Amino acid sequence: MADGKNLYETVIVTSAKLGEEGSAALVERFKALIAEHGTVQSVDDWGKRRFAYPIQKQTEGYYTLINFESTPDFTAELDRRYQITDGILRTLIVKRDPRHVMAIEKAKKAQAQKAEEANNIDVEAIAAEAVEAPAQETAE
Amino acid sequence: MADRPEREVRRGRKGRKKVCSFCVDRAEFIDYKDVAKLRRFISERGKILPRRVTGTCAYHQRALTVAIKRARHLALLPYTSD
Repeated sequence: MADGKNLYETVIVTSAKLGEEGSAALVERFKALIAEHGTVQSVDDWGKRRFAYPIQKQTEGYYTLINFESTPDFTAELDRRYQITDGILRTLIVKRDPRHVMAIEKAKKAQAQKAEEANNIDVEAIAAEAVEAPAQETAE
Repeated sequence: MADRPEREVRRGRKGRKKVCSFCVDRAEFIDYKDVAKLRRFISERGKILPRRVTGTCAYHQRALTVAIKRARHLALLPYTSD
């Protein structure tokens, strides 16, 4: 990219011992750190998940996915911070190929459309109502 | 020359040509987060299934291997299970 920035995604697995608030607070701290050095694009909270194998004798943890854009040298710093932070069991930082990102967005859109079609009647009825309601108000 | 591998498959038992499921889906990349899909490509013991079993093409098998290893690291998939 022209501005030397790349798209990344990172997954943070925090210990279930921290509890929901504790892990949310931890994730919040990293969100702030990323925002300082780049831009956070989206955050996806997967919630509590069971591990496929025990990590440090623990069987579950909280998963959070953060998509962000930053310069390449920030990922090293982010990784360093991950390593020295207590309560983090696993992390992953992956560079996202812009072509793939576009493909994902497209797939997501298609999926959303499919879901919409599944309850098409409801959505349309609601949408129609939503449009009707303000229209009536203005008419009055 | 071109039809030689085909003939070799036919020899012995009648083989149906396997198609790479990622090529069928026109998948450009394989997501390590899609655990349900990745599970189809590991054995009961958690091993990555070979191409000759799943019919995955070389290009997608390489991508699949990376995806499975990433998923394993995050404990989304097992390294081993019995």
